[in-house]
Amino acid sequence: MRGGAASLGVNMSNWTIIICLLALAALLVWLKRGMVARWRAGRRYAARVRREDAIKHILKCEVNSGEATMESLAGHLQIPTDRTAELLESLEDRGLLSLQGGKIRLKNAGRDLGLHLVRAHRLWESYLSEQTGVSEAEWHKRAERQEHLLTPEQTDALAARLGNPTTDPHGDLIPARGQPVAGDRGMVLSAAEPNQPLLVSHVEDEPAAVYSQITAQGIRPGMRGLIVEKLPHRIRFWANGNEHVLAPIVANNISVEPLTDCTGNDLLDEEFLTGLATGQSGRVLGLSAACRGPERRRLLDLGFVPGTEVVAEMKSPGGDPTAYRVRGTLIALRREQAALVRISTPNSIAV
Amino acid sequence: MSDAASQPANSPSADRILQAAENLRRNIQGDLHEHVVEALYADAARIADRAVSRPGVAAQPTFDRTLDRILTSRLWGFPIMIALFALMFWITIAGANAPSGWLAWLLVDQGWPMLRHAAEGLGFPWWLSGLLIDGIYLATAWVISVMLPPMAIFFPMFTLLEDFGYLPRVAFNLDKAFKKAGAHGKQAMTTMMGFGCNAAGVVATRIIDSPRERLIAIVTNNFALCNGRWPTQILIASLFLGSLVPAHLAGLISAGAVVCVALLGVFFTFAVAWTLSRTVLKGEVSTFSLELPPYRPPRVLRTLYTSLIDRTIIVLWRAIVFAVPAGAVIWLSANVKIGDLSIAQHLMQSFDPVGVFLGLNGVILLAYIVAIPANEIVIPTILMLTVVATGSAEVGQGAGVMFELDSDASTKALLQTGGWTVLTAVNLMLFSLLHNPCSTTIYTIYKETGSVKWTALATLLPIVLGVVVTFLVATVWRLLQ
Repeated sequence: MRGGAASLGVNMSNWTIIICLLALAALLVWLKRGMVARWRAGRRYAARVRREDAIKHILKCEVNSGEATMESLAGHLQIPTDRTAELLESLEDRGLLSLQGGKIRLKNAGRDLGLHLVRAHRLWESYLSEQTGVSEAEWHKRAERQEHLLTPEQTDALAARLGNPTTDPHGDLIPARGQPVAGDRGMVLSAAEPNQPLLVSHVEDEPAAVYSQITAQGIRPGMRGLIVEKLPHRIRFWANGNEHVLAPIVANNISVEPLTDCTGNDLLDEEFLTGLATGQSGRVLGLSAACRGPERRRLLDLGFVPGTEVVAEMKSPGGDPTAYRVRGTLIALRREQAALVRISTPNSIAV
Repeated sequence: MSDAASQPANSPSADRILQAAENLRRNIQGDLHEHVVEALYADAARIADRAVSRPGVAAQPTFDRTLDRILTSRLWGFPIMIALFALMFWITIAGANAPSGWLAWLLVDQGWPMLRHAAEGLGFPWWLSGLLIDGIYLATAWVISVMLPPMAIFFPMFTLLEDFGYLPRVAFNLDKAFKKAGAHGKQAMTTMMGFGCNAAGVVATRIIDSPRERLIAIVTNNFALCNGRWPTQILIASLFLGSLVPAHLAGLISAGAVVCVALLGVFFTFAVAWTLSRTVLKGEVSTFSLELPPYRPPRVLRTLYTSLIDRTIIVLWRAIVFAVPAGAVIWLSANVKIGDLSIAQHLMQSFDPVGVFLGLNGVILLAYIVAIPANEIVIPTILMLTVVATGSAEVGQGAGVMFELDSDASTKALLQTGGWTVLTAVNLMLFSLLHNPCSTTIYTIYKETGSVKWTALATLLPIVLGVVVTFLVATVWRLLQ
C-alpha cells in the first residue's frame, strides 16, 4: 500500500510536469497566437521593411541622378555588406530590380513599389503637419513607420482627404499615383551666393540629428532669407527677422531656390509683430511659412490676415505674452507666435 | 456636372483644361486653402468697412484699457491678484464655518439620534441600523455638512470673477511661468478652481483647447489643495504645530504651515507639469491662444443660479453617490470580525509597519483607503479608527461610527493615545496634499480624458510622490533626532 501511494505521488508530479510542459509548448507554438508565430511574423515584417527601405533608397538615388551602390545601401540601412548582398539577391528574385554588370537597376515593379512608399511617406507627413498638430520632430519618424503600413488604396484615400496636396511639409513634391518621383529641387544652401534673396525649398529630414538642429533654428520650407556672410566654418543665414548661424553640414541639408521678386534689403527690412512696442501699431502682411497646421488656422481665425491692423496693447508683467488688439478683440500671443506674423509699420512705409 | 461626365476622357478640350488647371496649381505658391481663407477674410473686412459705421470712440474701451493697464501692470498685477484670492479664501473659510456647524448640528447631532430612535422603534436588527444609519447616513451627512457650504460660497465668487472678465487676465499675467513648465496660462484658472474642488477644476480644464496642455492641467490639478483637505490641514496644524510655540504665535505658525503645504502643492504642479511635458506628453499636440474678453458687469443672480446648479450641486451629487458605499464599507470593516479582530483592526495591523516606515501609521493609511470617496471624511474616519485601534471606550459612539470631538484638546489627547507625534502630524499634512484624488475626481478625470491610461497616471502619480516625500521627511527627521 505504501509503495502504491508513493508511486501515485510520483505519477502526480509527473503529470504536473507534463501539463506544465504542454502549456509552455502551447504558449510557444500555438498557431498564429503563440510566441513563435508572433516572433516569426515580427521577423517577416522587419525583413519586408528592410526590403522596402532598400527600394526607396535606390529610387531616391536614381531620381537625384546618382547611383545606388552596395556600399551606399549598406550605409543607408546600417547593415553589413554581405547582408546587403543577400538582400539585393532576394530583391532580384522578387523581380523588383536587376543586377546587370554590377549596376543596380530598378525594374517597373520595384519602381512602382518605391513610388508608393515615397508617396505614402510624404502624404503621411502632410497629414501629421496639417491635421494633427503633432510636433515637427515627430513627423519623419512616424511617417517612416506608417509608409510600410498603408496600402495604395489607403494612400489614395488619404490624398483625397487632404485635398491632393502637391508638396509635403519639407517642401518635397508628392508624386501623384503612377507619376514618376521628381528629384530634389534647388541647390544646397552652402552653394548659394551671399546677399541673394532665397526661398527655402526643401529641408532634408535625414539624418535626424541634423534635421533637429534645423527645426530648432526654426528654418522651414517656404521661408525667405539670404546669406549674410559665408565663412569656411559657418554660414550666417538671415531669415524671418532672425540670424541663424549654421555649420556647413547643416547648411548642406537645406535646399534653396533664388528669388527674383525682391531684393536682399527687402528681406533684411522685414518686420514682425514681436518688433512692436506697447502702443504701436502695424498692418499684417502675412504669416510665416514656419507656421503650419492647426496653429496657422487658429491665427487666421483670430484675424491675423493680410491687411488687418494690429495694435500692441499691453505686455504681461513677465514680459511675455503680449496682448494685441485685432479687429476690436484683445488676443494674447506668445513671443514665438508673434514672431510668425510679418507686418509693415507706418515707419517702414514712409521709408 | 453632367456635361463633364458625358465628355469622353480623351477629348482634346477637356485635356487642355485639365492640363491648364494642373499648371496653375503647380505655380501657386503656398497652400491653396489658405489663399481662399485669406481672400474670404479680406472680402469680409472690405464689406464690413463699407457697411458698418463706427460713431466716434466708445467710452467702454478706454475704461477697459485703464483697468487692463492696472490689473496687468508690473507693479500692481501680482499684488492685486494675491490680495483678491486671499480675500476669496478667507471669505470661504470664515463664511463656511457657521453654515457647516448648522448642517452638522442638523444632520449629525439631531438627525442621527432621531434616525436611530426611529430604527429602534421599527425593530431594526442592530446590524441593519448600524449599516444604514451609522455607516451610510453618517458618511453622507459628514460629506454634505463639510462640503456644501464652502462650495456654495467659493464657486459663485469664482464665477463672478470669471464673468467680470478678470480670470483671463490672471492667465495672461501667469502665462510666462506656466509656459516655462510646458503648460498653458489658463491652467492658472483651473488650478484656482482646484483649490475649491479638484473635480470642478478638472471639468474647468475644458477652457484649454490645446490637448497637451489640457492633459497637463488635468493630471496636476490634484496638487491644488481642495476645500475638503483644508479643514484637515488647519486642524492638524493647530493641534500639533501651533502648540510647539508660545501661545501668541500659535495662530501664525499653524496658518503659515498650512500656506506652506498649499505652496508646496503649487511647486509640485509646476514640477510635474515640467516633467510631463518633457517625457510622456512630448509627442502630444500643443497650440496656444488666449483671448482677453472685454470687462462686463457680472450678472449676479444668473451667476448664483448657474454656479449652484452646474458646479455645486453636480459635484455634491457625485460626492454623495460615492459617499454611500464608503459609509457602508467603513461601518462593515469596523464591525465584521474575522477571528477576534474586526477587518479594520486586521488591516491596520498589517498597514502599521508600512505606515510607521513612512512616518505615519496604519490608522492613517486605512483611513485614506476607505475615505477615497471624499477627503472630507478623513478626520472623522481617523478618529473612529483610532478609537477602534486603541480601544478607548470613553469617547466615540461605538465601532464604525464616525465622529468629531467638540474640543481640540480632547482630539489631540485621543490622537496621542494612538501614538501620534509631531512627525505624524507633519507627514499627515504632506500625505493629505500628495495622495490619490478622491473618487469623484478620478471618475471626472476618466470622463474628461476618456482614457484609462491618463486616469491611472493622474491617480497613481500623487501617491508615489506622497510615499517618496513622507519617507524622505521621516528619514531626515529620525536622523536629526
